[in-house]
Amino acid sequence: MLRALGIDKSFTGVHALRGVSMEVRPNEVVGLIGENGAVKSTLLRILAGVHRPDGGTIEIDGQAVTIRNAREANAHGIGIVFQEQSLLLNMSVAENIYLGQEAAFTRLGLIDARRRNAAARRQLEKVGLDIEPTRRTAELSFAARQMVELAKALALEERTDRALTILLDEPTSVLESRDIEILFARMRALKARASFVFVSHRLEEVLHVSDRVYVMKDGGVVAERAAGGVSVPDLHQMMVGRGLQTEYYREARQVPPAERVVLQTRGLGVAGAYRDVDLDLHAGEVLGIAGVIGSGREELTRTLFGFLPPTAGTLAVNGTPAVLRSPAEAVARGIGYIPRERRVEGLVMFLSVATNITLARLGAVLRMGLIAHGRERRLAQDWVRRLTIRTPDVATPCRNLSGGNQQKTVLARWMTAKSRILILDHPTRGLDVGAKEEVYELIRALSEDGVAVVLTSDTLEETIGLSHTILVMRDGAVTGRFAAPAGGKPQQVDLVRHMV
Amino acid sequence: MTTIASRMAGAAWLRAASPVLLLVVLVVGIGSAAPGFMRLETLGLLLSDTAVLFVMAAGLTFVIMVGGIDLSVQAVASLASVVVAQWLPVLGYAAFPAAILAGLAVGLLSGFVHVRFRIPSFVATLATGGVVAGLALLASHGQTVTILEAGRAQARWVSGSLLGVPDLILIGALVAVGGLIVQRFTPFGRYSAAIGAGEPAAWASGIRVERTKIVAFGISGGLAALAGVLLAARLSSGSPTLANEMLLPAIAAVVVGGTAITGGVGSVARTIVGALIVSIVRIGMTFLNVNIFAQQIVFGAALVLAVAITIDRTKIPIVK
Repeated sequence: MLRALGIDKSFTGVHALRGVSMEVRPNEVVGLIGENGAVKSTLLRILAGVHRPDGGTIEIDGQAVTIRNAREANAHGIGIVFQEQSLLLNMSVAENIYLGQEAAFTRLGLIDARRRNAAARRQLEKVGLDIEPTRRTAELSFAARQMVELAKALALEERTDRALTILLDEPTSVLESRDIEILFARMRALKARASFVFVSHRLEEVLHVSDRVYVMKDGGVVAERAAGGVSVPDLHQMMVGRGLQTEYYREARQVPPAERVVLQTRGLGVAGAYRDVDLDLHAGEVLGIAGVIGSGREELTRTLFGFLPPTAGTLAVNGTPAVLRSPAEAVARGIGYIPRERRVEGLVMFLSVATNITLARLGAVLRMGLIAHGRERRLAQDWVRRLTIRTPDVATPCRNLSGGNQQKTVLARWMTAKSRILILDHPTRGLDVGAKEEVYELIRALSEDGVAVVLTSDTLEETIGLSHTILVMRDGAVTGRFAAPAGGKPQQVDLVRHMV
Repeated sequence: MTTIASRMAGAAWLRAASPVLLLVVLVVGIGSAAPGFMRLETLGLLLSDTAVLFVMAAGLTFVIMVGGIDLSVQAVASLASVVVAQWLPVLGYAAFPAAILAGLAVGLLSGFVHVRFRIPSFVATLATGGVVAGLALLASHGQTVTILEAGRAQARWVSGSLLGVPDLILIGALVAVGGLIVQRFTPFGRYSAAIGAGEPAAWASGIRVERTKIVAFGISGGLAALAGVLLAARLSSGSPTLANEMLLPAIAAVVVGGTAITGGVGSVARTIVGALIVSIVRIGMTFLNVNIFAQQIVFGAALVLAVAITIDRTKIPIVK
């Protein structure tokens, strides 16, 4: 039996897990649900030895253990299937399955590839994947790679006599229903030998396959239920756990947008990602884009900020045709971007708050072509005050700030740049509830001020709560458009119908 | 929390201050071991020596700040020395800017190759450096080109002195002041630091990353050529191998000064300290009768040590 007790974990600026306890009993499937994907992933990664917890203990069969890396996790019978795949694309399928386990196939120090490939074939059969183990992984479809990933985790069963625990982090999000059935059948067949922790954002799936479900919220476990005793709406209620949605999303402050179109696309497309997107973004409008992974919405948002140039269609900013080949060209047209990867694309973490605030428009603090440091400092202090960014000083490096304050710093940058169009790419990811509310507050204020917003979010609820208009995408095409005025918000189920 | 934070701040402070402390220790140590060292002429010679190295290292600092490296600097400096020596009789004073512009052009080309063809900068500059070294050999037929009497007069602005201060030192000081202004007060300097510290975020802020990098390589090439010109004027000759032993000391000067080899953190001011340390170690070794051939061993070892100390491993989980 695997047991986690009071696990705590913080990353720079983000308190991901707060005293999380859960147990995985022999031969059971444990479902793990929660709004925030990062939190669940972090918990699994700690159990798999990818991260070390800051506090708490992990016990296996009553013994406290330390899991420092994947090898040690394997030794304890723990295997993981990562959400973002961990396969090396330049290697063969067999090489991937037995990566790090080559010693099992060596003769005189050389790898006996034939024996390894035969073993890999056995693993592939387990997941019903009929491909040559010598195929290069890059040649496989995304779904097939997911099955290889699973086969890799299941190979563990032949290496240890211990009870197995297989951690599955959103394994179904990219799979077709046929593959999902194979996966579930495999899980059922292996239950005699292994336990599973199953993470998915599809609650029906979780109830269908799990014996017991843990509900996570704001970095902690809020409920634990036998799967037989709860319904999907129950789970959803526990997961969201907030009464007044309208208040949470500041719906009262949602005012109708202006007539003026600030961003327009016609027939916009990127080969292999999405196609034929027509959208009209009005001043003061929040346009939410909903869709699952692979729907093309992520690529669409990246096109709107110049990361991913379109291969078809046209785009116009304030009525003028625009070609956005790089973020610099987007910024020059008054577009700003808040990335989901705040620590990578949002802020230069080692530079100061002031530096990050002026980065997109240094012109605001230049005097005769040179940076006026005093002026820069005052400008930054002004934003720190107006957005209540909690930092000891504007000279403090951004990495010392909490997630919410980092996000507000990014917003301050685009406000300094006087951006009139903001692309918000999962703007509240990894933030705690209080910080989220502050971001919502700011989005409303910007919108009242006439700033137009394109929003993608981790949760449908947030998309619905914040948006004036919602575009639903599936398989690269727009499948639905919903008006979402204050007091007349569409239902999640209606949107979901167009998503899957 | 506060104790950890203050201890971290202390460690950071120590890391930043340690090059200066090392410099002081070296000066005092060698000064007391070899009394001749503290004489005014020796120090003047030391600073003149350092000026050439510093000019080259200052250019390199710009490239290292954006997270790159320029391995072509010694070849560029040698080429510049050949250009000056060969063209002084023909062009007169115009030979100096011609040589520096040639270096600037090579630097811009390296930068262009690096960003446009997406070739790692160490490969791109190793290649352009090879090309440039070949050009210098071809142009000079592999010979040293001596600057004749007339040319020497035109090189007085390098070899002379002003109010008793050798011109080389003044030129080095000018480069230092210029470099500091560029780094601290211009958008280019700011963008360089941002790119070195977090390129994806800099790119997503609308910074023209490619252009900034090309400019950094241009500065490096131009200053390397200036270093070559200074060397030629000082020695009254140009040679395709004139600056051949300068690459390692120049990189060492940047890194020993405390500029992170991974980019984003550093300044020309730190490179002044680094160049002084390298020079003093070199001269000190001569004073202490260390075999001249052994000196590169010391620089190599010092480089490894300095990188090991300045690199912040929490920032980079995997080093390639």
